[in-house]
Amino acid sequence: MSTNDQNAALSAALKGRARAKVLGLTFDDVMRYFFGGNATVAVIVLLLILVFLGKEGAGFFGQNQVNLSVYRKAGLEYVDMMRLPMEDFTSLTRGLNDARLVRFQALLASGKDAEQANAALAEFDAFADKFGAVAGDARGLMTDLTEVVSAVKTRVQVAADNDLERDMLRHAGREEEAKALKIEEVDFQKEIAAIKAAAGAWKPTADAMLAGLKAATATGRAAAWAKGDVLLEKVFVKAEKFAAELPKVELRMAAWNWEEPVPYSRSMAAFLFGRDWITASFWQDWYGMLPLLSGSLMVSVIAMIVAVPLAISCAIYVSEIATPGEKALIKPYIEFVSAIPSVVLGFFGIAVLGTAIRSLSQVEWLNWIPGFPMSERLNAFTAGLLLALTSIPTIFSLAEDALANVPRHFKEASYALGATRFQTLVRVLIPASLSGIISAVLLGFGRVIGETMVVLLCAGNRIAIPDFSEGLSAFFQPVHTMTGIIAQEMGEVAQGSIHYRALFMVGIILFFASLIINFIAQKVVRKYRISIG
Amino acid sequence: MPTQNVSNMDATAQHIFMRPATAAMRSERVAFNVFRVATYAVLLAASIIFGVIFIKGADTIFQREFPFINVPFLVESPETLHVFDHEGQHHEMGDREFRKYMAAHENPTIAEETYVYSAGGIFPCIVGTLFLVVGSMTIALFVGISAAVFLNEYSRGGRVVELLRLAILNLAGVPSIVFGLFGFGLFVLFAPVFASAPDASHLYIPLGFGYLNFSGWGVSLISGWFTLAFMVLPVVITASEESLKAVPKGFREGSLALGATQWEAIRTNVLPYALPGILTSSILGIARVAGETAPIMFTAAYVVRDRLPWQVEHLLDVLFQGVMALPYHIYVVSSKIPQNMYTERVQFGTAFVFLGLVLAIALSSVILRNKLRARYRW
Repeated sequence: MSTNDQNAALSAALKGRARAKVLGLTFDDVMRYFFGGNATVAVIVLLLILVFLGKEGAGFFGQNQVNLSVYRKAGLEYVDMMRLPMEDFTSLTRGLNDARLVRFQALLASGKDAEQANAALAEFDAFADKFGAVAGDARGLMTDLTEVVSAVKTRVQVAADNDLERDMLRHAGREEEAKALKIEEVDFQKEIAAIKAAAGAWKPTADAMLAGLKAATATGRAAAWAKGDVLLEKVFVKAEKFAAELPKVELRMAAWNWEEPVPYSRSMAAFLFGRDWITASFWQDWYGMLPLLSGSLMVSVIAMIVAVPLAISCAIYVSEIATPGEKALIKPYIEFVSAIPSVVLGFFGIAVLGTAIRSLSQVEWLNWIPGFPMSERLNAFTAGLLLALTSIPTIFSLAEDALANVPRHFKEASYALGATRFQTLVRVLIPASLSGIISAVLLGFGRVIGETMVVLLCAGNRIAIPDFSEGLSAFFQPVHTMTGIIAQEMGEVAQGSIHYRALFMVGIILFFASLIINFIAQKVVRKYRISIG
Repeated sequence: MPTQNVSNMDATAQHIFMRPATAAMRSERVAFNVFRVATYAVLLAASIIFGVIFIKGADTIFQREFPFINVPFLVESPETLHVFDHEGQHHEMGDREFRKYMAAHENPTIAEETYVYSAGGIFPCIVGTLFLVVGSMTIALFVGISAAVFLNEYSRGGRVVELLRLAILNLAGVPSIVFGLFGFGLFVLFAPVFASAPDASHLYIPLGFGYLNFSGWGVSLISGWFTLAFMVLPVVITASEESLKAVPKGFREGSLALGATQWEAIRTNVLPYALPGILTSSILGIARVAGETAPIMFTAAYVVRDRLPWQVEHLLDVLFQGVMALPYHIYVVSSKIPQNMYTERVQFGTAFVFLGLVLAIALSSVILRNKLRARYRW
């Protein structure tokens, strides 16, 4: 090839490059936009998460509003007014049973056998029977009313289902079948009148119950065998309170109006501040976040109590104290810990840790710890311990970074003034890196609250707000969590049902919680960073 | 009494002219020991978990005779375990074997206990996990590296880039179960599918030659891929950016000075040097993808599936089928079947294989990173 040809080829190549444009874009521009487009994926995904969680969760409040207004119109709310005192009464009889158990065990401990002990408690049993019988009539009335009201509710539900079916038939073009489908219009006016008439028996029943209860309490108080029994005394005090509350039920029943509409805000409040999460119940479904939220927080708090001191100690040790050899061992090891899949930790909790902790809690001399011996193998504490392990690597590595980023001369100045290494650490290094450490803790918290498999497997999955009336033993109760409930129930619900949408709402709350935690963590780092000048 | 003082102290670090320990020094020693104990307590706790799972799982995975590894456990499908006594003998056998046995003994009536998934092996789960990891990492690496190239090479700061970084940071904090819900809502229920006829119950777009039905991909491999890919995206982007930053500026400038366009500079002088670093750091992303259960629970995982992923009629069906996966299988066997000596075998065996796999991935990441650091020094 001659030089001329080469030159021609070169200039053609150079010119060609300048000219090659598609839609006014050079190849380089195209590549640039391509990369830019990929970079926006993160934003798009965040938006899509919001859109699709919103799409599936939308309509929950509306459906819940309907759910709640059926609860009112069908008279379930009315019956629940009477049901609640009955449940309180049941807890009174439970208190009696507890008192009996304590006496029974004391008798056994004093050397009697079971038969003798039972004989000794004959007086007590007679009293308990009489006490329990006080509510007999009221119970019967409740059972009757429950049946009546449930029947009304079932009819409403059948009507709603038929309505849905008719829409589907119309949609499919089967007009005749749709017309043939009869939909009952439930006449609430009539039903409620019937229920109210039946509930008219409540007042005499309640009055009789009140009188019986007062008499029973008085005899119990006066009885010689009941003297000095603290548990019994508690029951009597509760019974008095109960007796004082009982007449108020009538007032509430009188004030109740079935036509009062359920506002949208009530539906939202019932979700955000509802104390019950009850699904697929024969009576009434409740979708209240509080038990799940409190369960999540409980588990996370336990995890953070364990993880924060350990992880920060680790970070301090690795960045300030450890020899280079130790450092080279510990850092990758903790990275390994972060690689342990959470489902394996959950499995470890079920298979090993839960049982181990329970048998430890049954050791005699540990009885002083509240909640020991534990009744449940899987509880908030077990899950919290394992979650601590998942958050330690996160907190450790971020806190270690924060400590390592403190400028050398801070430390050197402190040493030069004669401070020991510990004094330097506490007075200089930690304050200087505090913003980083706090944000590390926050991000660790975010990781823990969003963790699913460990809590699903190990937290015990009992949907209840932790009961702190017994003190710190609440930490050893089984709980359910926001993440756990989604994982557990999502597979079983019908698409588009209120339950399905409720789960998506929980997801939305988790999503925003994670965004907020992230946001605060970033703010803390930016705002309180000590300027390195 | 100086002599007594010396004898009380640690003899190796002290000499007789040393200043006696002050309160500050003593408290320092105590505090440092507290930190040391805390650190080793964490390491010990992790070691106990590794130890228990490896020791108990080793019973399943290894055996005393040749070939020393329990091959059937690794290459067979899960089966139901039947435990029974017959003719004075105790039997434990899997489903197929059990049926043969019953046929051979003319179907005797026996009192048996059955445990699902407790016999056979976990081959479909291993395969499913590999399929999930390969697919989702391909997507995540493609998008993630491109995004990092834009952020590190093209962008010049400003509002948009700040927004992008904020989004990436926040995406990293979204709980994995929320990704699961999102994947379920978008890919399983809504993603578009080509079809010859419109699907009246969903949104559809006529294309002239067919219809685009928004009826979703169902619980399938491809739904799982995208869900996992988006979940791991922040990890990949961050890792890629760090590797790109490590390439010296001079490389780009030299190339640009010779007349290369920016893309040419990136293609020839940046990516080749950054790629090994990107890939090694992204291995940690693999560990995350392989280890997560929550995102695939409703998007890709089946409790049990008889056919292996490649046993399909059409090639495209590979994408639109659910698979079994190791993490989900562990969840199933640890929550849905009782804990006893018969089920322990499969539980710990699966956990062993899974943990071993994930840790091997993490280990290779650490080793490769150290090697890489040694190789490239500029």
